[in-house]
Amino acid sequence: MTHKTRERILDVLTYLFMLVMFLFFAVPLLWLLSLSLRDITEVFLGVSRFIPENPTLENFRQVLTNSYFPMYLWNGLKLACLGAVGCLIVAAPAAYAFSRFEFRFKGAWLMALLAFQMISPLVIMVPLYRYMSALNLIDTHFAVVMVYIAVGVPLATWLLKGFIDGIPRSLDEAALIDGCNRFSVFWRIILPLSAPGIASAFIITVIAGWSQFLVPYLLLTRDDLMPIAAGIFNFAGTQNASTVQVLAAACLISVLPAIVVFLSLQRLILGSIMSGAVKG
Amino acid sequence: MTVQAHKVARLPWHERVGYRFAGQPLPWLLPVILILGFFYLYPVFDVFRFAATDVTLIGQDYEYTSRTIQQTITNNDLPFILWITLIFTAGSVIGQQLLGLIIAMVVIRAERRRLFGPTILRTTALVAWVVPGIAVGLIWQMLFSEAPFGGLNSLLRMFGISPVYWLSDPQMAMWSVIISNIWRGTAFSMVVMYAALKAIDPVLYEAAEVDGASGTQKFRFVTLPQLRAAILVNMILITIQTVNTFDAIIALTGGGPGRATEVISLYAFNIVFRNYDLAAGSVISVIMLMISLILSVIYALFLPKGDTT
Repeated sequence: MTHKTRERILDVLTYLFMLVMFLFFAVPLLWLLSLSLRDITEVFLGVSRFIPENPTLENFRQVLTNSYFPMYLWNGLKLACLGAVGCLIVAAPAAYAFSRFEFRFKGAWLMALLAFQMISPLVIMVPLYRYMSALNLIDTHFAVVMVYIAVGVPLATWLLKGFIDGIPRSLDEAALIDGCNRFSVFWRIILPLSAPGIASAFIITVIAGWSQFLVPYLLLTRDDLMPIAAGIFNFAGTQNASTVQVLAAACLISVLPAIVVFLSLQRLILGSIMSGAVKG
Repeated sequence: MTVQAHKVARLPWHERVGYRFAGQPLPWLLPVILILGFFYLYPVFDVFRFAATDVTLIGQDYEYTSRTIQQTITNNDLPFILWITLIFTAGSVIGQQLLGLIIAMVVIRAERRRLFGPTILRTTALVAWVVPGIAVGLIWQMLFSEAPFGGLNSLLRMFGISPVYWLSDPQMAMWSVIISNIWRGTAFSMVVMYAALKAIDPVLYEAAEVDGASGTQKFRFVTLPQLRAAILVNMILITIQTVNTFDAIIALTGGGPGRATEVISLYAFNIVFRNYDLAAGSVISVIMLMISLILSVIYALFLPKGDTT
């Protein structure tokens, strides 16, 4: 067997493996799409109608005119964005200090920050629920946003630090010599230059906030305040076997924004995760 | 009074503050310290405190007692819950690590040979990764469902194979949960492994080539030793993520059938928010914290040394 033939055989095997893996990752989402486009009679025909004969948008219409679903979407967007904005306001100054200052135990501080990532939100929700009740903050978006900020800050700080590290220090020094103080260096030079980093940290935090379930589910009791993940969980509880196509449509609507945002900014997001989080 | 100090004294107040404080790290770190202190450290401290009480979720009064710890630790449920958590975690982590490594290697080979499709495969895997946990649970419920619209069983029916009780058979349900978690999490390992493989010095492979090493030997004596640190760090990270998994399982099985898929996070949730037993839930939370802490310490030991800038 020559070298060339062996490479050919390996190419075929590579293709086969890639196809199997592609199906594994794609089919669940395609199945969701397929179910969401069917009417009730075709739902019960299973796989044989993978491509529906009479595709319909009726399920989507039903979900979007359902009294609460648009609210869930809006709350999800609002909480995720507010949480991400708050997160960046808190994380950016810290990232600057970690990038530019030398101080005692800096490495330990950074490690401690990473350790927060290891704590499940469930653990802190146990006592937090009690405080929030005591402070009468149950059923307020304010409480939810504050917890989102706390949950998102460690990663955001690491991401931004990685980005600010890439901005030459000579710029800071030049500005300091010209009479700027550290605050104005940060405000006038570092923030504008790290705009792409801030943008990608913002997007990553928003996608994470969009997926948040436990925090809002515990801190909110009123259905009209629920964000999407908690809302769709409640929505699923009210559905049954004869409305699975409606649930599929609802599910698709809830995952689509995250997927679209991710795909359009894939390079930016992966780049910042690779440079900030993985390299450490 | 130097000229410099004289100049500073005449500046507007915010400039003076800037000169005075901006050179120290503390003002910059204060917001993070406050947020994490109030919403993370204080609750964690309280979890430890509550574990030593008999506090409930709704009542106000409680007293300090060691009974809760005794009762929770000696509860017959606990070994079972830990066992379930171990199976789920081991299955997910081994599956994600293996699959992530194989996909990364195949993708790199396909890129080198200029084949069609590696980018599509990578992107598809990453899309599964950004799907919210609750939605992951609901999507796989539609696939595993034993109703006529259940994707997998209706596929089996087409080939004349009898249906599998994905979610109603207790032993099968655990595998179903693991499969759905592998679907969701593999992309992360794939990305980490891809970066680690790319970082291997090609000279090593050239040297192995000169020595007449076969493909298998190259993998065993070059790739694996070079990847050892990356694999370990990756496995610790995904283990922590998996131990804390909550959304996807509660949406897929809710811990059922019976208690076959009730991992430790669901157990803690049920104790606190179904039985209102905040004290016992705190004891379980402390156990979860300990698991994460031990893993984090191992992780910290393996991170590259000296490079903290």
